[in-house]
Amino acid sequence: MAPSEPAVTLDDVRKTYQLAETVHALDGVSLTLPRGSYTAIMGPSGSGKSTLMNVIGCLDTPTEGRVVIDGADVSTLSGRERTRLRGIEIGFVFQTFNLMPRLTALENVAMPQLFQNVGRTDRNERARDLLDRVGLADRADHRPNELSGGQRQRVALARALVNDPAIVLADEPSGNLDTETEAGILDLFAEFHDAGTTLLVVSHERHVAERAERIVHLLDGKIERIEALNDARNGSGPPSAGPDGTPPSTVGRDEHGGSATDRGTDQEEPDRGPDR
Amino acid sequence: MKPLALLRLAWRSIAGHRLRSALTTLGVIIGVAAVIAFVTLGASLQAGIVGDISPDDQRNVYGWAADPGTEGGPLAGAQPVVSEADLAALEERSGIDAAYGYAPLGTQAVATGDSVVPLGDGAFATGPTYVREDDIATGRQFEQGEPEAVVNPAVAGAFESNVSVGDELTLVFQGGETRTVTVVGITDTSEGLSPFEGFGQSPRLYVPTDPFYAGADSAADEETDGNESAEESEADGNASAPGEDDPGNESDGEAAAGTRYTAIVVEAPSADDAAIDRAKEQARSYLESDASDASALLASGELEIVLQTSTQLLSQLQDILGLLQNFIVGVAAISLLVGSIGIANIMLVSVTERTREIGIMKAVGAQNRDVLGLFLMEAIVLGVIGAILGTALGLATGYLGAQYIDLPLVYPLEYVALAIAVGVLVGVFSGLYPAWKAARTDPIDALRYE
Ligand SMILES: Nc1ncnc2c1ncn2[C@@H]1O[C@H](COP(=O)(O)OP(=O)(O)O)[C@@H](O)[C@H]1O
Ligand SMILES: [Mg+2]
Repeated sequence: MAPSEPAVTLDDVRKTYQLAETVHALDGVSLTLPRGSYTAIMGPSGSGKSTLMNVIGCLDTPTEGRVVIDGADVSTLSGRERTRLRGIEIGFVFQTFNLMPRLTALENVAMPQLFQNVGRTDRNERARDLLDRVGLADRADHRPNELSGGQRQRVALARALVNDPAIVLADEPSGNLDTETEAGILDLFAEFHDAGTTLLVVSHERHVAERAERIVHLLDGKIERIEALNDARNGSGPPSAGPDGTPPSTVGRDEHGGSATDRGTDQEEPDRGPDR
Repeated sequence: MKPLALLRLAWRSIAGHRLRSALTTLGVIIGVAAVIAFVTLGASLQAGIVGDISPDDQRNVYGWAADPGTEGGPLAGAQPVVSEADLAALEERSGIDAAYGYAPLGTQAVATGDSVVPLGDGAFATGPTYVREDDIATGRQFEQGEPEAVVNPAVAGAFESNVSVGDELTLVFQGGETRTVTVVGITDTSEGLSPFEGFGQSPRLYVPTDPFYAGADSAADEETDGNESAEESEADGNASAPGEDDPGNESDGEAAAGTRYTAIVVEAPSADDAAIDRAKEQARSYLESDASDASALLASGELEIVLQTSTQLLSQLQDILGLLQNFIVGVAAISLLVGSIGIANIMLVSVTERTREIGIMKAVGAQNRDVLGLFLMEAIVLGVIGAILGTALGLATGYLGAQYIDLPLVYPLEYVALAIAVGVLVGVFSGLYPAWKAARTDPIDALRYE
């Protein structure tokens, strides 16, 4: 694939649930994630963030619209090819961790490589290295129920990274972390970003989202606005130069107000942790 | 996914549910053990009855007259119809080397000197060639018309001092009458010599039909001044020795007159099928023709001549035993079926219970065939464990059973192999549907599953 080709392209993606009333979890989302970009998604609970992640992660199929990953329309792929994408192209950090309860942290991290036929020694070496990088080297032989929420989240993150995916999707990866661990994880993301990985991170927290290059604000299954951050590393202060497109320029000017609104909506939620 | 990795993962989840896995395999264990135990006992029983024989009486055709509807082994429903004259006439026919009668004698004991050994049904009156020369270890065949006997090692060794050729034995008949015979030969084994006797090992003694069964018929007059024991028996009125020659009988008319044999042996010149068939044909055509004494008794149609070789008789016996065994194994196989339903049930529960885990695995790149392989592997491991433990249990049970009823232990190894194969197949078949169900789980639904 050409390097210029975006990693992910969404074209008017809709996801509709026909319950007692029709729920539009995603209501016409078009979004492009350029290769190597770092994007954050913010939005109130129920705005469709997780649904969007699942669709991009080839776990869920949209009711309408097109999802193109690495230049391939996902709807045209066979189940096998989609599973292959999930296995080696995409690393997914679930909001609810989704660790295997009977396997140790190390085995959980190594599992995706098991399905890629990597040998046991290589697998364990790689998994140990990743656990070390998320600060859990001493918990390798613990099972998930012997780990704290934050530790589980880090195991889930290590597992997502184990196959060196080109795209990493993280649904609220810092929701359960203390400030120090969170900083470590965000530094790890930055490291992967520098290495050219395409990152998409859902977060409630403004300062987490501000580590990205831009923030996509979701509301009721629609993109409310896309906020470009010029100084992605600091995430502080208004962008020094005005963006060229019309909506982003509005965004640029309203940055502080926008962030206040965001916090306002977030605070209305009873539970700021991962929704279950 | 590599098979070894698959096996390791499958083992993890089996070991993770110890009690459940144990109970699941129990069904297979019992099924396989039952099949193997019954098959072992069946084979041992067959060996116990039939013995380890390769019949060397291939030239012999065994004959008797019975109701055509009678089922069973040799002599089932047989009636005495063949006369001495018939046997003599049969021997004259071409394609028949020899023809003689066979009759168990009603003895109760055999004695030499002061040593007495009970012998209930081990004395037989028959023709000299019934005991084949090959079967005689020392001495020779007895001769017709002489008070001679051939004994087997079980009889020879039954007394305080071993009996050897030339010794005299006293036969005690039911009713107390006695006769003295000279041992002229000792056979090399104590197994039966023909299907009439059965093939198992037991003490046996063979004497000529003349004078012990038919002698009175033709040679009664000579017998009277023969040896003293014969004289004695004549004087006692021959109450229990068969082959009596009552004057009252003679006046009953020809059909019932004279000695009649229940069992006869017709020897073909060779053991090949054509010679056997010809001997049978000759014997049948004569016995059914008006020329024979037997025909008068066969005329009613209620009796029919049966002529078979020991191979044929043996295979009939084995058929009957085999039928019995198949029935029992069938019952045991049902428990194996129940065991496999148990595995299927547990696997289905397991799939439902682990829906979320399946979702996780698929979300991180497990292909359908990986999930299929994993669950199938679990079922197969359960089946194989069950089969191995069941085989061990079955062999042990078979061993104890054979010991208990005192049978020679025979392990039918091909059945043991079969039982293990069945255990694996049980695993595959009972795991197939649950594994298939697991493999086609939609990951997003599975991850939402609580
Ligand atoms: N399986 C489902 N069935 C019905 N409605 C669903 C389902 N999954 C999500 N939804 C609805 O879709 C909307 C978006 O959900 P989600 O993407 O989980 O939101 P977020 O992650 O932003 O909190 C919610 O209103 C939710 O109720
Ligand atoms: Mg969510």
